[in-house]
Amino acid sequence: MSVTSSIRRASLVRQGTLLCILVCIYAFLLVPVAIVILTSFTGQSFPAVPYDGISFQWYTELITDSQLLGALVTSFVVATASSLLAVAFGTAAAVGFVRAEFPYKQQLSTIMLLPMIISPVITGIALIRYFGMVDVSSGYPALIVGHSILTVPYVFLLVRSQLVTFDEDLEKASRVLGADSTVTFLNVTAPIISPALLAAFFVAFVVSFGEFTATQFLISPGSSTVPVEIYTMLRTGLTPTINALSTVLVVVMVVAALLSRYFEN
Amino acid sequence: MSVVVERSPVPRWLTERISNRHLVAIGVGWVTFFFVFPILFLVVESLNFGSGGLFDAYRRATGGVYLNAFARSFVYGFVTTVVTLAFAYVLAYYLVFASDRVRLLLTLVVVPLWIAYIIRYFGLLLFFSPTGPLGQVGLEIDILFTSTAVVVGLANAYLPFAVLPIYNSLNAIHHETIDASRALGAGQLRTIYEVVVPLSTPGIVAAGVIVFILATGSFLGPAVLGGPEQSMIANEIARTFLEAYNIQLASALAVIYTVLLVAFIAAFNAVFDLQEALGNL
Repeated sequence: MSVTSSIRRASLVRQGTLLCILVCIYAFLLVPVAIVILTSFTGQSFPAVPYDGISFQWYTELITDSQLLGALVTSFVVATASSLLAVAFGTAAAVGFVRAEFPYKQQLSTIMLLPMIISPVITGIALIRYFGMVDVSSGYPALIVGHSILTVPYVFLLVRSQLVTFDEDLEKASRVLGADSTVTFLNVTAPIISPALLAAFFVAFVVSFGEFTATQFLISPGSSTVPVEIYTMLRTGLTPTINALSTVLVVVMVVAALLSRYFEN
Repeated sequence: MSVVVERSPVPRWLTERISNRHLVAIGVGWVTFFFVFPILFLVVESLNFGSGGLFDAYRRATGGVYLNAFARSFVYGFVTTVVTLAFAYVLAYYLVFASDRVRLLLTLVVVPLWIAYIIRYFGLLLFFSPTGPLGQVGLEIDILFTSTAVVVGLANAYLPFAVLPIYNSLNAIHHETIDASRALGAGQLRTIYEVVVPLSTPGIVAAGVIVFILATGSFLGPAVLGGPEQSMIANEIARTFLEAYNIQLASALAVIYTVLLVAFIAAFNAVFDLQEALGNL
């Protein structure tokens, strides 16, 4: 008799209790996001559940606000550019670590994961002070380099896990048939690992697009990102425009995450 | 038939010199130059080279308001970890042993990870606010800007990080082991306590360490859901840097916190593999 079947045969009361707990846990995870989206359609001047019909007035408000649209553009540019950088450096490291053997390999690969562990506030102040020293100006350059650091661990982990199943004999075959390493890379390696790279790109995009804590130190006037705008608006008072902007952010992030999962499988 | 081998666009002398070790150096070099160096530079920034002692900032950083913030971070982190582990274990257990729709239910756990923290904290803020959905129907849970709200927020933010490692370790348990325990006469609860829980310890430790690290370092949780009394160490570092513009003190706080964090991870070194734990995500 397995646990599976015995749980199924457990008394209805116990099953009911378990189900209640599970529904509560899922509600706890998902309801906050649902509320943000739902209350963006309110006709009132504060975020409220629109029981009396939905209204798009706060979306109209959003698309006529040049500052918020500017933040959307900045977020897109920064997420795209930093994810490309993260994919380049993260993939280089992942390929190297999977294929090369050298002392202290394990310890060295931990460096690639450090940005995930250190509190983003500390990353933020460390980067902006250091950027001042090495002449990376705040705004776009700082945001792009900074986000590439924050996202590179995700790329590294994802590409490394996908590379483990890579059949290196295919490359050897290509070399034996006369292709040099670059041609082999372009015609054999790249097509095989490109889904993993696309998946990694979109994961990095999601992380960059939603990052706030380190980002708040890296922005300059005129290059604010969407999460920073949302935080600033939260501090000054609740208007449904925040919800409209948040909903756009959620849609972009979920689409990018779904694309990532599509390429990963 | 002639075979035409495509010519490489990159000169041979260059391609033959790029080895896998160079690739490692390129990746690690980028992170070292733009992350490890900046963090190390904070140590220099935290020292006082003017009049007074070299470690003046550290003396201030270990007193009064900052000591409270450190203590609060670790207390909130600890409580969040305990609460999160309990929920995550129940959820993961159900997914592994009793659910027919694992894929869907697991995806629903991961979905919140795709959505920015700030949106989820904002959602909780709306949920508990007097004008929120509960307030609209006359129900009001008055916990905003208290420690409870911050811990609820942190648990919400980091629950998915706890479910995944526990799920993976439970999923790796052979059903035969459990069947054997039952066949030998142990009841369901005794099987859970003496077989399932011990076998899933690696997952519990990984989940606990990750949640503790992330929760103690949180900035947004207390910033959105807490008041001045709930300020954690990340908030104090940010405030010292952005408002008081005391870079030396902010750096000293950052160095102390990072050292404590590294010591914490090192303490779990025997039973916790950082690489593997993060690989679950």
